[in-house]
Amino acid sequence: MKVLLADENSHRAGALASLLEADNTLDVVMLHPGTSLIDAVRIHIPDIVLVDISRSDRDALDSVRALSASGLERPVALFIDEDDESLMEDAFAAGVCSYNVLNTPVKDVKPLLRSAIALYRRFRQTSAELQAARKTLSDREATDRAKLLFMKNECCKEDEAYRWFRKQAMEKSRKIADIAKDYLARHDRSTPV
Amino acid sequence: MSSLCRIGVLQLADSAPVLVAHARDIFSRYGLNIQPVVMPSWANVADGLVWNGLDGALMFPPLAIMTALGQRGRAIGLRPGLPVSRGGNSIVLRGQAAAQSAWISEPDKKKAFHTWQSSLNRKPRLAVVHLYSTHYLILTRFLKKISVCRNTETDIVVMPPARMIEALLGGEIDGFCAGPPWGADAQLRHLAFAVSGSAATVPDHLEKMLILTDQWKMRYPDETKRLYSALSEAAILCNQSENSASVAALLSAKQENNGLNLPEKAVRSVLSDGKNITETMSFNTHIQTPELSFGWMIRDMLREGWLTPDDLTKLSALGWC
Repeated sequence: MKVLLADENSHRAGALASLLEADNTLDVVMLHPGTSLIDAVRIHIPDIVLVDISRSDRDALDSVRALSASGLERPVALFIDEDDESLMEDAFAAGVCSYNVLNTPVKDVKPLLRSAIALYRRFRQTSAELQAARKTLSDREATDRAKLLFMKNECCKEDEAYRWFRKQAMEKSRKIADIAKDYLARHDRSTPV
Repeated sequence: MSSLCRIGVLQLADSAPVLVAHARDIFSRYGLNIQPVVMPSWANVADGLVWNGLDGALMFPPLAIMTALGQRGRAIGLRPGLPVSRGGNSIVLRGQAAAQSAWISEPDKKKAFHTWQSSLNRKPRLAVVHLYSTHYLILTRFLKKISVCRNTETDIVVMPPARMIEALLGGEIDGFCAGPPWGADAQLRHLAFAVSGSAATVPDHLEKMLILTDQWKMRYPDETKRLYSALSEAAILCNQSENSASVAALLSAKQENNGLNLPEKAVRSVLSDGKNITETMSFNTHIQTPELSFGWMIRDMLREGWLTPDDLTKLSALGWC
């Protein structure tokens, strides 16, 4: 069975391809950057297309059956498993969906979709953790820079500067890092926040 | 605060009432907790409604009808909701002032189309925003009116409205029918000229409607009424010319700042005090009869073979006809 992977996140697509290639009954094809979904389906004639849900050319694949311009005689349909609503909801929430080309049985598609869901979830979690770590670093850096600037402007020591930011944060029900960023935006003309 | 309601919108100027109601705290004043969700394409909007990713969406009726019937996924309860916008779709063709002059000066528009086409050296590729869209139906009517065969003389391609300009620039398409402000933007960039649109094809037609899932409406009937009231208030604000500058600024703000990242000048031109270089959209939440709202769409959809007489019985039960 031929599977086309259409994901602009090449790292994730590569990881999914490695996962699927472990099954030697599958022939996995990756979508080249800049190629449209329709063109890829026309060229590779896959049985299944696994798509990153945020791809905007999904609209075109949705309409492929009815449009003469598609040049595809084989039917392409959004994969729907009506008996397993949670699988479909999980797929949507994870950010992956699947199209059937021809009449691939539902039972053959489900394991592929499940693998994709698990991998997309893992990527999403890793990406969220990375973003949180970056934010923490950026917050810490902004707070340190703001404290230094405050110490220079007010001729005070570090603990006094810290107390001032903490007091502002408490009074305004905001985070110290946000107060620090506001302070830098108002007083630091050298570098952008 | 009430329960969360996720409303899907696309990067279009007629999404304005949802954005304005959110930014000006109109929703919260009505005790609503609304989250506008900017979706990448209409396929995502339909999937969001079907697979519990959205509670509602600002969308055109043909897609809501086909989604309700399960023609692009599982059938779910989607009934007519609150009308929000009218008109605003433009049909533009690649070309600059000379091409536009040639089009205007030729009274036989079939001939004008073929003259324009000869400069392309290929069958014209015309884009619409989704197959099941008012845009596809309007483009079809326009081509029929000028006696150009859609199926043999053009290639219809589908892409989200926000991709149209890039596709025109890259030579991927030769024209499009899309919602505001993309037709105006194509003209302001001197990429294309307008040949028709909503006003000339189906004057004052219903364009976007707030569609909520039956599941959400049944769970929160009182909130549905308040949501309609809040959106109606926002629609009035969006129609007032004194608010045009602030509405355009909001829509052109970056998405991370609660905007839609739309081209501001083009948005200004499609608002009520705009220079009307293409089609002016208007906001109107007055509920009309199903025949006045959807009659022409359903007849065209029957003609396309998308609907069968059996479907009409189902649609009647849902309130679409």
